Amino acid sequence: MLFIQSLISGILTGGVYALAGIGMSLVFGVMNISNFAHGDLMMLGMYLAYYAFTLLHIDPYLSLVMIIPVSFLFGFLLEKVFISRVIDHPHQNQILLTIGLGLIMSNTALLAFTSDPKILTTSYSSSAINTAGGLSISIPLLLSFLITILITTILYLFLLKSSTGMALRATSQNREAAQLMGINVAKMSAIAFGIGTALAATAGALIAPTYYIHPLAGHSFLLKSFTICVLGGLGSVVGAGVGGLIIGVVESMASTYISTDWKDVIVFVLFLAVLLLRPQGLFGKNGGQ
Amino acid sequence: MKRILLSFAAAALLALPLPAQAASLKIGFINSITGKEAQIGENLTNGAALAIEDLRAKGVQVDFVKEDDGGDPKNALAAYEKLVTRDGVIGVVGPYTSGSANVVASRADQYQVPLLIPAAAKEEITRNGYRNVFRLNAPANVYSRVLLSAVASYKPRTIAYVYAATDFGVSTVKTAQANALSMGLKEVANEKYQQGQPDYRATLAKVKAANPDLVFLVSYDADAILLMRQAKEIGLAPKAFLGAGAGYTTAQFAEQKEISNLVISATQWTDDVNWPGAADFAKRYKARYSKEPSYHAACAYEAVRIMVDTASKNRTVAKLRAGLKAGSWNGIMGPVKFADYGGFTNQNNHPMLVQQLQNGKPETVYPAQFSKTKLVYPFKR
Amino acid sequence: MKQLIIVALLAALAAAIPSLLGENPYIIGLLISVLMMAALSSAWNIIGGFAGQYSFGHAAYFGAGAYTTMILISSWNVNPLAGMVAGIAIAAVIALITGSIVFGLRGHYFALASIAVAEIIRLSVLNFEFTGGAQGILLANVTLWGLDLNSKDPFYYGMLLLLVVTLAVTIWLRKSKTGYYLQAIREDQDAASSLGINLARYKNRSLLLSAALTSVAGSLYSVYIRFIDTSAVLDLRLSIEIILTAIIGGVGTLWGPVLGAILLVPLAEMLRSNVIGDSLVKLGIVSETSALGVFLSENLAHAHVLVYGIITVLCILYMPKGILGLFRRIK
Repeated sequence: MLFIQSLISGILTGGVYALAGIGMSLVFGVMNISNFAHGDLMMLGMYLAYYAFTLLHIDPYLSLVMIIPVSFLFGFLLEKVFISRVIDHPHQNQILLTIGLGLIMSNTALLAFTSDPKILTTSYSSSAINTAGGLSISIPLLLSFLITILITTILYLFLLKSSTGMALRATSQNREAAQLMGINVAKMSAIAFGIGTALAATAGALIAPTYYIHPLAGHSFLLKSFTICVLGGLGSVVGAGVGGLIIGVVESMASTYISTDWKDVIVFVLFLAVLLLRPQGLFGKNGGQ
Repeated sequence: MKRILLSFAAAALLALPLPAQAASLKIGFINSITGKEAQIGENLTNGAALAIEDLRAKGVQVDFVKEDDGGDPKNALAAYEKLVTRDGVIGVVGPYTSGSANVVASRADQYQVPLLIPAAAKEEITRNGYRNVFRLNAPANVYSRVLLSAVASYKPRTIAYVYAATDFGVSTVKTAQANALSMGLKEVANEKYQQGQPDYRATLAKVKAANPDLVFLVSYDADAILLMRQAKEIGLAPKAFLGAGAGYTTAQFAEQKEISNLVISATQWTDDVNWPGAADFAKRYKARYSKEPSYHAACAYEAVRIMVDTASKNRTVAKLRAGLKAGSWNGIMGPVKFADYGGFTNQNNHPMLVQQLQNGKPETVYPAQFSKTKLVYPFKR
Repeated sequence: MKQLIIVALLAALAAAIPSLLGENPYIIGLLISVLMMAALSSAWNIIGGFAGQYSFGHAAYFGAGAYTTMILISSWNVNPLAGMVAGIAIAAVIALITGSIVFGLRGHYFALASIAVAEIIRLSVLNFEFTGGAQGILLANVTLWGLDLNSKDPFYYGMLLLLVVTLAVTIWLRKSKTGYYLQAIREDQDAASSLGINLARYKNRSLLLSAALTSVAGSLYSVYIRFIDTSAVLDLRLSIEIILTAIIGGVGTLWGPVLGAILLVPLAEMLRSNVIGDSLVKLGIVSETSALGVFLSENLAHAHVLVYGIITVLCILYMPKGILGLFRRIK
């Protein structure tokens, strides 16, 4: 009973983690960059959802229609202006650049929005479906999960069938070869980063009704997203999806059966174990690179 | 090159002694203006501001120097040292958080500048015999004792703890465990959580499975709301939710009527208690800041008032210390006297109150001498 | 040799400062922070700048020194210096374990793994009772051979000595065989390996040195403040601040990290303590109660991290070799 409840909560939360992880994984695959500002991009989505709700009275899930293009554009521009300049630089410089950008984003948010946590309460924020067996399924999480499946499916089809999608996958597989084949890899990077940003912002907006909104709220998801990417295999969209669910369940189970305060340690240990034993992750192709 | 020169200039600016103030009264204030406890800190800032306003209106000239510690003890220490050595204050009010207050208190005797703590709960702060440390609010032990006493007559048998991994959380739960033991309560769950998690459902489901009569919570701001929301989702319904102050007493928490109704919390102050000026203070605060004051605002108001008032009549640190020790006051926090008792030094034996949110409004329900409304037990949604 | 002489001269100058300043605990305190960050960044530089292995979890060593020292003093009344040595031992163990885990990894993985190790340590310390858990460890008093440890001066000299030692170690390392191998590793790991250089051995050596020096800083810090908790000594933000200080000053150079510390630490303190805001008010440019005045007094504290972020971005984009690199280019 407790086991099933724990499993369900884990899967539903894992769905949101997965979305964030997929965004990061795409960036890894196409650009080979660790984006340490990923959590702050989620935070942007949270604030967009919050203000859409309080100022325009649009439900957070509906506001995705606005959030996705806006954040895509933001990510696209961010890449063009900043990230593209360090594409060929050493990894550590790329990491430091994204750290710097992240610091700018979160601290500007602190100045603009102050550190008062904002609470987004919709009519269904604390609602749940209560089954006969005594299980409780969180409605906002269930909605997020369904939306995540929808978005992931669309993304998957996009990558599989559309010409841009195929160009992205080609760039992800081998940047040089793709360039030789006439693909504009610089544009692919910008698009990938834009999509990654949109996914992060969406994850933020999806979790907004059940979390709180704060300039530093994205940070708790940053390291988790990295863990998910590594678990799934850097660059693998499917892998990140699965990885997200796994991490959600592991956290939930660890909370239930071991203890709440050790659950983060367990996730990190899992992370290191994957790095050492199977660095290419579940679905990845590059070993330890 | 320019950057280096700028930096040296800045350092030189810092090194310059500030122009000497003409013997005006200088009091320092350390608070969590930024950081995880910023929202509660706002109450303290506002309460202090109202106090300064009232004092100035009475003709007291005071230079009130504010510092932010961001909820971080090492910043609080740096702030205290700056106030004492550079700004030349003769007394300091604050800090707010237990961690910060504890660290600053340990240095007060070294610098010999009286420190008046408005709202920090950790017991240790006034149990070390520091001559220069005074505390207005009741310590952690009282939070848990008064909460458990309020429901004792209903004879609950089991208790679960869900609390933040912070100094305040850990020290308060320790006192609760001692009190619970003496009441014969059996502990069925003990869940310490890291702040900032999005998902407490597994934790709460575990607590639900243990079927406790009482759920004892210690959280700051946003976590309180998250926990109660998810508790509702999961269907956790003990006979009572006991919130040890902080996040469970903020206006924002009360506003979330759907999830906060019937939550019982321990508080240092409510506006419907018969202490002189308490109701007026609440009215005035609400009119000025458009929100209800939490107990922290009242604590800050009274602490600043006592400190500045005493300091205006005792202009040296030694006299101020003596003045605080000897004095007694009766204001919005009721009768205040800093005494030595039960292992505490310079501790005001403040009675804590228990309030319950009923229809979005905090009602004082215990102890009998202060309450006007009856406690609703057991909890139901 | 010439560099060592310069270090000695500057150290002598620095040593004279406390006597010149007299009783000024605030400035001495600020200078101690500068010296500590300079020492931390220089120590990190050994493994990061010099060997090219960017450890993003260096706070683990700082925390190891701090916690070991504090636990030994508070539980068993051990002499602080002995505590410091014990701290070095613990840091060394952590370094060896970390090295064995992360040095086989490349690029992203290395950085992420170093963070994971540091976070595991932080969360574990937060959860155990004997480390003080969330309450941290507070010492009422520390004594060492009759030195007045309530005064700041011993810690000023302690940090200065640590910085001098770190710089001396760096100078020595550069000229030594280990140093040449580390440079080779930094430039091209695979080429170095194919030439027969034992990557693991040299990476581990430099990490051990770096970790030991970092842990000494942690021990000094803990006895200085007499209070530690995980957010003060094991936080990811500290690890990042150490790296940013080295980068902005000039990574891989001898004086870069020191320069970075001299520039950034006072700047941060000025913003945090609202000196800029206060000065504007005192000069009458901004009124204390105006919207701008209130905004400045409440929010400028955040600006220091914002400024770090901006400087970092500008640095990576336009002067990846840091301020020192800029000088060299101008020359």
